[in-house]
Amino acid sequence: MTALPATVATAASPAEPRPEDGVATGDAVPAEDAVPTGDAVPTGLVMLARAEWPASPDDVLPAIPGFVTSSFSPLVAEVAQQCLRRYFGTAPADPALGERTALVLASATGDIGTAAAIALAVDEGRRVPPLLFFQSNPNAVVGYLTARWGLGGPVVATIPVGDAMADAQDCASLLITDGDADAVLIILADQARAGDERDHGVALLVGPRSWPQATDSLSFPAR
Amino acid sequence: MASLAATGPHQVVITGMSATSAFGRGLGPVADGVLSGTPAFRSVDRFDSERCRTHVAAELPGTPVLSDELAEVIEAAWAAAALGNDHRGGCPLLLALHCDPAAARDPGARQVTGDTAAAIGGRCGLRRLPRIYVAACVAASTAVIDAATMITTGQASRVVVAAGYLVDADSFGLFDAGRALAGDGQVRPFSAGRRGMLLGDGVAAVVLESAAGAANRGVPAVATLAGWGRSGDAYHVCQPRPDGSGLARAIGAALSRGRADRSQIGYVNANGTGTPFGDSSEAAALHAALGPYATQTPVSSTKSVHGHALEASGLLELVVTVLALQSGRLPVNAGFLAPDEECELDLVLGPERERRGRYALSLNAAFGGANTALLVDAA
Repeated sequence: MTALPATVATAASPAEPRPEDGVATGDAVPAEDAVPTGDAVPTGLVMLARAEWPASPDDVLPAIPGFVTSSFSPLVAEVAQQCLRRYFGTAPADPALGERTALVLASATGDIGTAAAIALAVDEGRRVPPLLFFQSNPNAVVGYLTARWGLGGPVVATIPVGDAMADAQDCASLLITDGDADAVLIILADQARAGDERDHGVALLVGPRSWPQATDSLSFPAR
Repeated sequence: MASLAATGPHQVVITGMSATSAFGRGLGPVADGVLSGTPAFRSVDRFDSERCRTHVAAELPGTPVLSDELAEVIEAAWAAAALGNDHRGGCPLLLALHCDPAAARDPGARQVTGDTAAAIGGRCGLRRLPRIYVAACVAASTAVIDAATMITTGQASRVVVAAGYLVDADSFGLFDAGRALAGDGQVRPFSAGRRGMLLGDGVAAVVLESAAGAANRGVPAVATLAGWGRSGDAYHVCQPRPDGSGLARAIGAALSRGRADRSQIGYVNANGTGTPFGDSSEAAALHAALGPYATQTPVSSTKSVHGHALEASGLLELVVTVLALQSGRLPVNAGFLAPDEECELDLVLGPERERRGRYALSLNAAFGGANTALLVDAA
């Protein structure tokens, strides 16, 4: 297993949701965002938990079994599990809630570490390392998370072209509007592309007010 | 539970579509290929496969450029839907793409694939920023479902979904290294002796819109997207749940949303990658979802002839499914050697078989246990 040059939040991750994540305070949906027909749009969603990585300069990402070379999957797994632990405690999730929880992973960079390793092997005329096959798509780490936590809702992975959080929220809203999930774990994850950058991830669990511990302090903007 | 009714003025119809595959450009070649059951696999010549175990794929001749191919199918679908330039500006574009190999070779690039997508949208006059779906083999079908939800809820009256994958050295080397490619050079879905998948070029575009919108324009629907469903297995990084219960939930949601009875399914375009446990899991899903009708419902995986188009497979196979409904004949499940007791299905093993039931299902499943089901009704 390759040691990963990134970090892990231990205890100091911000526990409170923050408006800069794009989750609006208050219930109002801007008129320009309102759905013209009034059909089945979820307006009662709230943020249930939030995590961000890194939370401090000393944070280091733990490796996860079977994922090598790139920090992308460990980043996704770490920030997601910090968020899930804050709401569900230890894995797996309460089955009644977990099976209705979907997952949206949005990353502008994607797993550039794995893609670069594959490209290097090809360009040098070497065989591609077999383990890269299993981690080459973002669905793989999502499968790691959903299996471990018992999340049975749909899985969506995107490259957002504009505002990543707004785009991911749109995806989450569609999933819930569609009726195949009640809650969505939103993960934004991007790998560093330059030496002075760090990997960065944010995870939000959004769900209905009827779920345990839900508060009205932050509402999720239905689009 | 699927909560939205797919009926009424917001019912989702397909008014235009186009596709490119190794069979050629346009709907005619792909229809001829899947209905005759003639595999399009040949020795790859787009790159050097000397170090790989497998050397075949379903490729277009030459070195096609993905952005050009995407622009061409989008324009063709747009024209087929009888849409003019005045409709372009506000129309959302949802793309399903394999990650651009150029991004892996440009350490400073941040959004190579995203930039490519934005350029394609701009080139086609679809100026709203596109979203790119990358969730492996359900990327395109997920985009279709999101588009359908946007239309059903009135968030959009019309959405273009496009998807593309062209066989490249990186993905070929990767799937070869993972021993996912069929060493015997043939995809044999649901057959005894199946040895895996083969990759294939696939580029497709579909115009989805509300039934009311299409009717107001006086444009006939090509087909109706009567229902859809999606689910997660919550089981494994890359293997499907053996009992198929996750995919069965997606099928059940599609049937429920479309108010269709399982006895009315006249054709299933299966995910059918030709992998040993993938196909047996899918067969189990069909038995769980269709009950006694599982062995009476014609099934084929057209990956056996056009190959696996990865992120684009869901859209290419939706187009194939619509073509089957239009023609009244069923695409062939090629490469079959002998029955597998774990895949007890009514496979379409030869051409000229007629469709009988009203609806068709297009199924896809992906790494991470992601499943989708699209229920299509003849227009």
